[in-house]
Amino acid sequence: MVDKDVVVDFLNSKSGSKTKFYFNDFTALFPNKGPREVKKILTALVNEEVLEFWSSGSTTMYGLKGAGKQSHAEGES
Amino acid sequence: MAFISSGYNPSKPMENRITDIGPHKYDSYFPPVIKKNFGKWLYHEILEPGVLVHVAKSGDRVYSIRVGGTRTMSVTHIRELCEIADKHCGGHLRFTTRNNIEFMVTDKSAMKALRDDLNSRKFPGGSFKFPVGGTGAGISNMVHTQGWVHCHTPATDASGPVKCVMDAVFEDFKNMRMPAPVRIALACCINMCGAVHCSDIGLVGIHRKPPMIDHEWADQLCEIPLAVSACPTAAVRPTTVEYKGEKVKSIAIKEDRCMYCGNCYTMCPALPISDGEGDGIAIMVGGKVSNRISMPKFSKVVVGYIPNEPPRWPTLTKMVKHIVEVYAANAEKYERLGDWAERIGWESFFKLTGLEFTHHLIDDFRDPAYYTWRQSTQFKF
Amino acid sequence: MTKHATPLLDQLESGPWPSFVSDIKQEAEARAKNPKGLDYQIPADCPDDLLGVLELSYAEKETHWKHGGIVGVFGYGGGVIGRYCDQPEKFPGVAHFHTMRVAQPAGKYYNTKFLRDLCDIWDLRGSGITNMHGSTGDIVLLGTQTPQLEEIFYELTHNMNVDLGGSGSNLRTPEACLGQSRCEYACYNAQDLCYQLTQDYQDELHRPAFPYKFKFKFDACPNGCVCAMARSDFAVVGTWKDDIKIDQEKVKAYAGGVLKPNAGAHSGRDWGKFDLQKEVVERCPSRCMKWDGSKLSIVTAGCVRCMHCINTMPQALRIGDERGASILVGAKAPVVDGSQMGSLLVPFVKVEPPYDEVKEVIEKIWDWWMEEGKNRERVGETMKRLSFQKLLEVTDIPASACHVKEPRSNPYIFFKEDEVPGGWSHDLAAYRNRHQR
Repeated sequence: MVDKDVVVDFLNSKSGSKTKFYFNDFTALFPNKGPREVKKILTALVNEEVLEFWSSGSTTMYGLKGAGKQSHAEGES
Repeated sequence: MAFISSGYNPSKPMENRITDIGPHKYDSYFPPVIKKNFGKWLYHEILEPGVLVHVAKSGDRVYSIRVGGTRTMSVTHIRELCEIADKHCGGHLRFTTRNNIEFMVTDKSAMKALRDDLNSRKFPGGSFKFPVGGTGAGISNMVHTQGWVHCHTPATDASGPVKCVMDAVFEDFKNMRMPAPVRIALACCINMCGAVHCSDIGLVGIHRKPPMIDHEWADQLCEIPLAVSACPTAAVRPTTVEYKGEKVKSIAIKEDRCMYCGNCYTMCPALPISDGEGDGIAIMVGGKVSNRISMPKFSKVVVGYIPNEPPRWPTLTKMVKHIVEVYAANAEKYERLGDWAERIGWESFFKLTGLEFTHHLIDDFRDPAYYTWRQSTQFKF
Repeated sequence: MTKHATPLLDQLESGPWPSFVSDIKQEAEARAKNPKGLDYQIPADCPDDLLGVLELSYAEKETHWKHGGIVGVFGYGGGVIGRYCDQPEKFPGVAHFHTMRVAQPAGKYYNTKFLRDLCDIWDLRGSGITNMHGSTGDIVLLGTQTPQLEEIFYELTHNMNVDLGGSGSNLRTPEACLGQSRCEYACYNAQDLCYQLTQDYQDELHRPAFPYKFKFKFDACPNGCVCAMARSDFAVVGTWKDDIKIDQEKVKAYAGGVLKPNAGAHSGRDWGKFDLQKEVVERCPSRCMKWDGSKLSIVTAGCVRCMHCINTMPQALRIGDERGASILVGAKAPVVDGSQMGSLLVPFVKVEPPYDEVKEVIEKIWDWWMEEGKNRERVGETMKRLSFQKLLEVTDIPASACHVKEPRSNPYIFFKEDEVPGGWSHDLAAYRNRHQR
């Protein structure tokens, strides 16, 4: 499977319970890759508008673009 | 309102996009005397409160005038700073780490004209716009956080209490009679986004009640697992509750584990933590960051809770002023507040200040607590 | 004329200290008048509504803001903090009120053109309210709406050649003291190190891939004006190795009362005649100085470079010539396990462009922390969890007595297998030859 699909499939499989994940959750998907390689995969997905960031201000998470509850609640979608 | 485009094309976000350019280089806006004498300064002197002169090897002098700034500042105010900088300083100015503004000139008479100009400007309400001061063994400007002006987890306001405390110690912003510098800071909750844990006097907003749980909205507004994983003490867990006769997914909080950080509210708007009656301010004292004489140290809590008393926070300001006065009257020259308290012993600190020592002031949070208990028969009655 | 009555906030207009309430009111007035005829891109009365919602907080003693995590500019994971008002009908001007962090030049020197250009963007596209500056050091633009974020970013980058700062689990906007630009104590060019590292690590700053936030701060001397040791995960603090330079004639001038001690910092009170023995020699934390009435001597090997004597007699004493910095790692504010001060990792490093020696330490720490750090764990907490020895190991730094205040007081030493002759295997048969069961 292509690396990007691994990420997207993981997010889709979890979408019932949560839609945002810490960076470390993705490194676990690629046991043979270092964090910097995983970052490249995620960055590419962000630039392709597949993923988007979610920030608490102090931390940052990644999720599928448009997924989740709050953006709709605040009329940002 | 008609939308004015900057040139950005929302359908092609990457088109002509400029990223990763960082800040401007630090020397882009140096006044000429700073540029010329970079790395070649010989010594400095504080001529009067708020006025410094730095002398370079070349013999050049730069007079810097420091004025207190409100961290929350309008563009109108910034433009007035610009007008002053254009009029007196060739269009240059700088800001300090403690939200002060510094104007630099190379001539003593220009310095005096600038100083008098700055001191003459007032808001219609009567406060100074640009009070000169904040140097040496005095009380400099407070650093602070957002508070009720902009933050979602504050236990107090920031700009307001800072205004009140600075009003109360204003004479010492404009004087240098303290035994050593006194640095005051305020963080509006324990997360301390403006770290105040090493200040001579640190004011910290504290919540005293765990978050409310809005069962009606929890599952609609929040991804419950995110709120659960946000909790630093594992006090938050998912649960199912009965709400208006229906079973709904919601959240449970183990109340005695909650440290009131508000992280779960950040993740989940159905867990608000703000509480008018519960919230307030703790006072911490005796921290420092400088390595001068003694090593850097943390501030210690000496007042566990003061209620929020907007708009002027009278109890808070009175206590801060009182601590400052007792310190000024008793410490030796060069002793920071924490050095003084350690020399005389904290039991003497409480005796001299008359602050009440309560059980709240004994550390009970995890490992470090033990190291603060007294393992000795040496103490003062 | 203000839109909302603010009787509580009005009480913050009196008193000498600059009143932020007066300032926000003057901004509200300026926008109402709109002398330049701007077509404000967010509600013109948002400063009024900001005062209105703040007045409500003053009455109720509770905040009215909610966090919003999704807003940002495309491709960046930080630099924008989402804020919504929880009383949007009452205060529509601030219903959506997001913050943008703009990268400041190290040391915060500006010219008026830069500031005016920034004000012009913020006047048109934001609330006109700022923080100069935020706690980490950024210029903070306080309050705009989502459709303006990309427009502001475009104008900042295209017209002002300046970028956003950091927020979230990434490298935060680094900051330095004013360093050599106007300070004789500066042991290295803190502003340049700050600038170079900020440029070199733009990807780490904008695209979060750390377990949590990571801060650099650069103090050019041990006085620590930007609080690097207390506030940054990676603190570079200037120091030197050789003798403090002494001008004996100037020392005598201080002792004789010709020169003002402490550069005038204590002149607000009559502390009596300057007493060099009592105020300098006896205050020296390592007691490495002597004053015989005409000559001051310092035993360099005993000096801990606390700056006290230099601060007290700046015309007579100067920092040494063999200059560089100490690196301290792991400071943080109290949540969760209590505050941490930076712990000394590199006792001395030369700080010279292109700063490879410093960068090498940074990158080794990042590689380790990105692998081992738990979610929301600052590097100082990772150090506590996995040991200081581990940090030394991953950074290839030999342990030295400088690293501790005192050696351990328990003997529970975790020896490595290769440190023990024969490793962890035993010869049981030989043992039984010597001992019965």
